[in-house]
Amino acid sequence: MGLNYYQIKKNVRKARKLVIKATSSAGSGHPGGSFSMAEIMGCIFFKYLRFDPKNPQWEERDKLILSKGHASPGLFSNMALAGYFDTSELESLRQFGSRLQGHPDLKCPGVEFCGGSLGIGLSFSIGSALAARLDGKQTRIYTVMGDGETDEGQVWEAAMTASKYKVDNLTAILDRNFIQQDSYTEKIMPLDDELVGDNFSEMWRDASRWKVGDKWRSFGWNVIEIDGHRIEQVDSAIKKATQTKGVPSIVIARTIKGKGVEHMEDNPKWHGQAPKKEFVPIIEMELDSQSMIAPSIIAGDMTNLENEVKRCVAGRADYIHLDVMDGVFVPNKTFDHTKIKELRPLTVIPFDTHLMINEPVKHVRDYISAGSDIVTVHAEVCDVASFGEIHDILKTNQVGVGLAINPDTELPEWSKQFISKLDQIIVMSVVPGKSGQKYIESTHEKMQRLNKILSEHNFDGYVEADGGVTLDNIGACFVDGARAFVGGSAIIGQQDVRGIIREFRNKIAYARRRTLIQKAFDLGGKELVAKWIDLHIIGEKKNQINQIAKELGYV
Amino acid sequence: MTIGQMTDMRTIYGKTLVEIGDENPNVVVLGADTTDSLKIADFGKKFPNRFFNVGIAEANLVSVAAGLAMSGKTAFASTYAIFLPGRCVDQIRNAIAYPSPQDKNGLNVKLVVSHGGISVGADGGSHQQIEDIAIMRAIPHFSVFIPADTVAVGKLTRMMSQKYGPFYMRMTRSNSPIIHEESQEFEIGKGITMRDGPDCTIAACGITVKMALDAADSLKQEGISCKVIDMFSIKPIDSELLEKSARETGCMVTCEEHNIMGGFGSAVAEVISEAYPVPIKRVGVQDRFGESARDHEIPLLLEKHGLTSINIAKAVREIIGKKKQ
Repeated sequence: MGLNYYQIKKNVRKARKLVIKATSSAGSGHPGGSFSMAEIMGCIFFKYLRFDPKNPQWEERDKLILSKGHASPGLFSNMALAGYFDTSELESLRQFGSRLQGHPDLKCPGVEFCGGSLGIGLSFSIGSALAARLDGKQTRIYTVMGDGETDEGQVWEAAMTASKYKVDNLTAILDRNFIQQDSYTEKIMPLDDELVGDNFSEMWRDASRWKVGDKWRSFGWNVIEIDGHRIEQVDSAIKKATQTKGVPSIVIARTIKGKGVEHMEDNPKWHGQAPKKEFVPIIEMELDSQSMIAPSIIAGDMTNLENEVKRCVAGRADYIHLDVMDGVFVPNKTFDHTKIKELRPLTVIPFDTHLMINEPVKHVRDYISAGSDIVTVHAEVCDVASFGEIHDILKTNQVGVGLAINPDTELPEWSKQFISKLDQIIVMSVVPGKSGQKYIESTHEKMQRLNKILSEHNFDGYVEADGGVTLDNIGACFVDGARAFVGGSAIIGQQDVRGIIREFRNKIAYARRRTLIQKAFDLGGKELVAKWIDLHIIGEKKNQINQIAKELGYV
Repeated sequence: MTIGQMTDMRTIYGKTLVEIGDENPNVVVLGADTTDSLKIADFGKKFPNRFFNVGIAEANLVSVAAGLAMSGKTAFASTYAIFLPGRCVDQIRNAIAYPSPQDKNGLNVKLVVSHGGISVGADGGSHQQIEDIAIMRAIPHFSVFIPADTVAVGKLTRMMSQKYGPFYMRMTRSNSPIIHEESQEFEIGKGITMRDGPDCTIAACGITVKMALDAADSLKQEGISCKVIDMFSIKPIDSELLEKSARETGCMVTCEEHNIMGGFGSAVAEVISEAYPVPIKRVGVQDRFGESARDHEIPLLLEKHGLTSINIAKAVREIIGKKKQ
């Protein structure tokens, strides 16, 4: 069974856009805390929570208790995507007569808890968990709390109670976004360490200063600490929590308030403020711009792939690209599923398996059971029947479905019926078969053609650029529409993998900012560009963005 | 049990809970380190899986009870009055009263407290809750009971276990005299007429019902004949009976072991002023706090706050004088 990575990722992206739609329509609301918990909610909703939107009161369902109730847009958006109601209803958020109240309310079927008065949710969840135990039900309770919320003494009353009664059918998740209404948590009521000065990013990174976990451990809890924006980490933490018996479990997810929209990130102002309508199209574009870096380990030491995987993990890659070559479809031979199976225990980072092999339909199951999270097969060796079968097998196993085309291949006619169901399309920008080739420039034009077809067929997955991607051309690939970037020798061939990945990200950020400024200009001329720049008040962002606007001649 | 016999409300409450627990496996009981005192520990001995002692953590007590109720349990949560409405109004409001599943109003939690009012005595003013009626009746969806004797406690406990919804019931600490026949029925929102007479209505609740009866008996000697009603159901309140009594007697005295502001007298005045205005005199704690008093001194404490049959009789004479002729 795969991670369901792309399905979750796509839903998280959609949910964030719905939060923007809802709060901007309402003219108020809490986007910051909705975004910090977006991956957590996506993972719970679309991987773990057992529910039936057609029968919200289904007796055997699991329950999601949003204790940090002010983040209701983040709950409602996921409920809409899960089928409880139409996504258009989100525009009624906070309106008179709406089921979508300012804070979660039982008025909306499927909501389990009237959250909002902070500090109550964990106690309430314990009650629900105890009731499930008394009734011998398999119900699992997922409780999402805010970090500011844990200033409330009642949270610690509940922490003791859960320990005493060994409540192990409850998973608490702390959305540790470091910001509460007034300011940074470490300024208002330190949970880790008192913050001196304004820059809390160092504390975010300095594990030696984290004390929240110790607090919960001392209350008898099983504590799992993760990066709450990494789906694979959220997934593995919830899995571990579920498997832990006899003690309650809490996942401490370090997150970024406002994550996904640069001007909202880490800015306390966006705790409880809605974006202005004029910025909505730009923000939506920004949310569609999230990008992933996937190093291809065959560019490294083939005799020690274990070490290459470790370098990718340490380098903060988003996932690991595994080029499987059979020596038939392409002249070279790399490794097969047995190697992937050996590498799998090393990390929870998604494995993006690219099958450059003949007759993939015969082998796809092996790659699923080896631990792939995404499997991409080549259009050149598939037809409508075999790809249909591959698609079904992958979906059933929660593995992302990818289709690849070689530089001289166009999307075949038969593939078009699958476009809307694809998670990933790899557009090869080198002839596959070996590492270290130069990017084929005509790929840019090919992408123009492809984008048209993809949009005509409602593609909502990710385009992966693969082949010759470097610091010099990654920005152009982004502009072409690529959102996942495979880096071979350009990443793995470098000494400092983490450093080069950071540089890749910076290049993408530059291209993204430029695209967004262009969008602002198209929508509202220099005036809107100026307003857009002014939103970016945290750190160096403003100067950097201003510089780009100058280059474009919009300032 | 016979009329006038002194009995303990908590004992009857605890005993009734055990009976209910036997009959209904869905009933759960929660306490906060006062389970011996509240006499709910016996429930815990008999049904250990359905009994939760959360320690000295009342906000948690109330909210855990709400979670159990939301999952279909009938939850009784008990401790002293001062620690529930007095301490947890937010959790009571937001975790129990506000959440309304489907077509219901609030969650199925019964908050049953002891040590209401100033007759707590020795523990002192810090532990004498004289604001709970005002707090609890202002929260939508809650019903509020103040029983006068153990007959009422037993029957109301049973009734709450059978009727869906959030309830608050306040008991008194000390033994109190039985005033009702064992056969007395208690209906939510219905007062009980204990004495009838044309000159004045005395509406009372809790331990003041006995005082009201004593006052009526002594006034009888003077030729003043009072109607006495036990208004154990403070919310919903029996507006019909109050209006009828106002029409029949033309004046009214209310008695409560509670601050006269926002309490039972205020609730009666709200009804009467809209339905059939007559002069009303409220007997109760005059917007000040209580203080310590050892058990044998509790009558002195009550007297200091005007909670005696003598003071009630005085109020009756005074209000009769203000009646429109």
